[in-house]
Amino acid sequence: MTQPHYDLDVRPILKAGGEPFSVIMEAVAALAPGQSLRLLASFKPLPLFQVLGARGFQPSAREIGGGDWEVIFTPVAEEGAPAAEPDAPGTGPANDAEWPAPVREDDCRTLDPPEPMVRTLEAVEGLAPGQTVAALLPREPVFLFEELAARGHAWRGAPTADGAYRILIRAGGGTGAAS
Amino acid sequence: MMGASLSRWTMACFAAALVCLVAAEALMVAGYGYPVAPLRAPETLFLVHLAAIGWLSLLMLGALFQFVPVLVAKPLRDPALVLPAALCVLGGLAFLLAGFLQMAGTLEAGRPLLAWGGSLLVAGFSLAIWLLGRTLWQARPLDLPARFVAVGLASLTVAMLFGLGFGLALSGAVDLPVLATLDRRAVPFHATAGLAGWLTFTAVGVTYRLLPMFMLAPEGGRATSRTAWWLGSTALALAVVVAPALAVAEAGEGALLLVTSGAGLAGGAAIALYGVDLAWLYRKRKRRSVELNIRATAGSFLALVVAAALLAVLAATGRLEEHAGALVYLVAFGWLSGLGLSQLYKIVPFLTWLECYGPVMGRRPTPRVQDLVRERRDTGWFVLYFLGVYAATAALLAGRPDLFRFAALATLVATLALVVELVLARRLANVAASARLPEGTRLPRLFIAAQRQN
Repeated sequence: MTQPHYDLDVRPILKAGGEPFSVIMEAVAALAPGQSLRLLASFKPLPLFQVLGARGFQPSAREIGGGDWEVIFTPVAEEGAPAAEPDAPGTGPANDAEWPAPVREDDCRTLDPPEPMVRTLEAVEGLAPGQTVAALLPREPVFLFEELAARGHAWRGAPTADGAYRILIRAGGGTGAAS
Repeated sequence: MMGASLSRWTMACFAAALVCLVAAEALMVAGYGYPVAPLRAPETLFLVHLAAIGWLSLLMLGALFQFVPVLVAKPLRDPALVLPAALCVLGGLAFLLAGFLQMAGTLEAGRPLLAWGGSLLVAGFSLAIWLLGRTLWQARPLDLPARFVAVGLASLTVAMLFGLGFGLALSGAVDLPVLATLDRRAVPFHATAGLAGWLTFTAVGVTYRLLPMFMLAPEGGRATSRTAWWLGSTALALAVVVAPALAVAEAGEGALLLVTSGAGLAGGAAIALYGVDLAWLYRKRKRRSVELNIRATAGSFLALVVAAALLAVLAATGRLEEHAGALVYLVAFGWLSGLGLSQLYKIVPFLTWLECYGPVMGRRPTPRVQDLVRERRDTGWFVLYFLGVYAATAALLAGRPDLFRFAALATLVATLALVVELVLARRLANVAASARLPEGTRLPRLFIAAQRQN
C-alpha cells in the first residue's frame, strides 16, 4: 500500500506576496522514499514541473476551483530504462523504491466501464510476483483499488494533466500461478 | 487513493423505493389524492410523501451511500449507520402516512402519529446526512459533483426541519407560532427545499460524474458547471432561507416577490447552463452509440426544461396556485422519477456485475454489463413511461382527472415492466445459462450486496 501524500499548501504564502520556492524545496527534501508531494497553489506552477521533473518527479495537476491548483508530484522509476531496479521475487512487501519498470502499459481510456478494470486485471494476472504493469485509465479507479487490495497487489498512481489516471501495479505473491 | 466497496444496503433501498413508486402510481390510477381530491387534502399529502420520501428520497439515499465514496475516492464514514438511517426513514414514513390517514379520518388512533413520523424521519435523515456529510468533509477540497451533493444535503436539512415543524404543529403536539406566521406559504418552501434542493441538486451533481463515465466523455472543471453551481446555490438560498426569513419577519409581499423572482431567474439560468454542459458532454463523447439509459436521461432532462418553462409561464400569468399540482407532478414524475429510472437501468446491472464477476475479472471470461439487460425490448417501456407522464401533466392542466388516471396507468405499466427487468438483471436471467456463472462466482442476492473478502 502507498504512503499518504506530504501535503503542502503554499496559497497563504502566495497571498501574502511571499516566495514559496524554498519552502517547497525543503518539503521535497523531507519526503520519505517513494512519498509524493501534494502541493496546493493559487496558479499552475509550471516552472516547478521542470525543476522537480529533473529530480525524478512526475507531476499530475488538476484545477480545484477558484483558480487554485492541486499538483501531486510522484517520484517514479525511470521508464524504459535499460537497467530496471533489481527485484527479489518472493520477498514479500519490499521497499517502496523497488518498483521495476512495467512489463507493459495499456491505454484503457476509451473503453466502456468496467472494461478498463478488466483489461488491467488481465495484465496483472500475467505477472510474476514483484513485476509491474502500468495502465492509463479514464479516471481514478476506486473499484479497481478494492479488487487489487483483495487480491494482494500493491499500486501507485496519480491523475494525469488531462483528467485521466495513470496506475502502476506491482503483483503481490501468489498471482499468475495457476489456481 | 482508497477503494470504494459495494454498498451493502443500496439494493435494498432501491427495492423499497421502487415498491413505493409502484404504490404511488397505483394510487393515482385509483383516483386517490389529487386531482380527484383537492391539492391540500390529506389524501394528496399521503400520495406526495409516499412519492417524495418513499420513492425519491430512499432512491437518492441508496444511490448516495454507494456513490459518494466513488465521487470523493474515500470510503464511507460510519457505514454501520446506513441500515439504521434507512430503517428510521422507512419507519418515519410509515408513521407519517398513518398520520395522514388519521387526518383524512380513515384511521382512528389517539396518538400524535404525524409528530412521531416527523421525528423518526428527522432521525433517519440526520443519520444519513451525518455519515454522508462526514465523508464529504474529509475529502475537502471537494470537486464539483461533490459540491452539488453537499448543497443537496444542506437543502435536505432545511426541508426536514420544515417537515418536522409541520408534523409537530399539525398533530397538535406543539404550538409553533412561526408556522402560523408562514401559514400557507410554508408548504412551497418545504416543497422547494425538497424537490429543487435536495433531490434535483443532488441528482444534477451525480449526473456530472455518471454521464461522462458511461458516455466516455471528458469530465468537468468547466466554467459553465461552476457557474451553474453558484447560480443554483444562490437560487436555493434565496428561495428556502431568505424568503422564509423575510416572511417570518413580515417584510411584505413586495420583498418576497423580489426574492422569489430572483431565485426563479437564477434557478432558470442554472438549468440552462446544466443543459449546455449536457450538450457539450454529448458532443465530446467517445462512445458513438448511446445506450438506453442515456437516451432516457435526455427524456428526463426535457421534462425539467418543460417544467421550468411551465413555471415561468404560470408565474407570469398569475396562475401558479391554480396549476401547482401539474407542475409538481411533472417535476416529480417527469424529471426526477424519469432520471431515477434511467439511472437505475444502468446502475443496478453495473453494481450486480461488479459484485458477481469482480472476483474473477481478468481470470475468466465474463459477460458484458450490457448483457444483463435487453435494451431493445426496454426502449418501449421508457417511451411509454414518458408519454404517460406528459399526457398526465396535460390532463392536470386541462382539469381532466379521468384522463389523468388513464395516463397514470401507462406510467404504472411501464414502471412495472422496468422493475421486472431490473429483477431479471439482478438475477442474471438475461445472460445465457452457459456464460452466467463461471467458476468462482455466485448469484448475487436480490437485496443485499456481498462484501469483497480481503
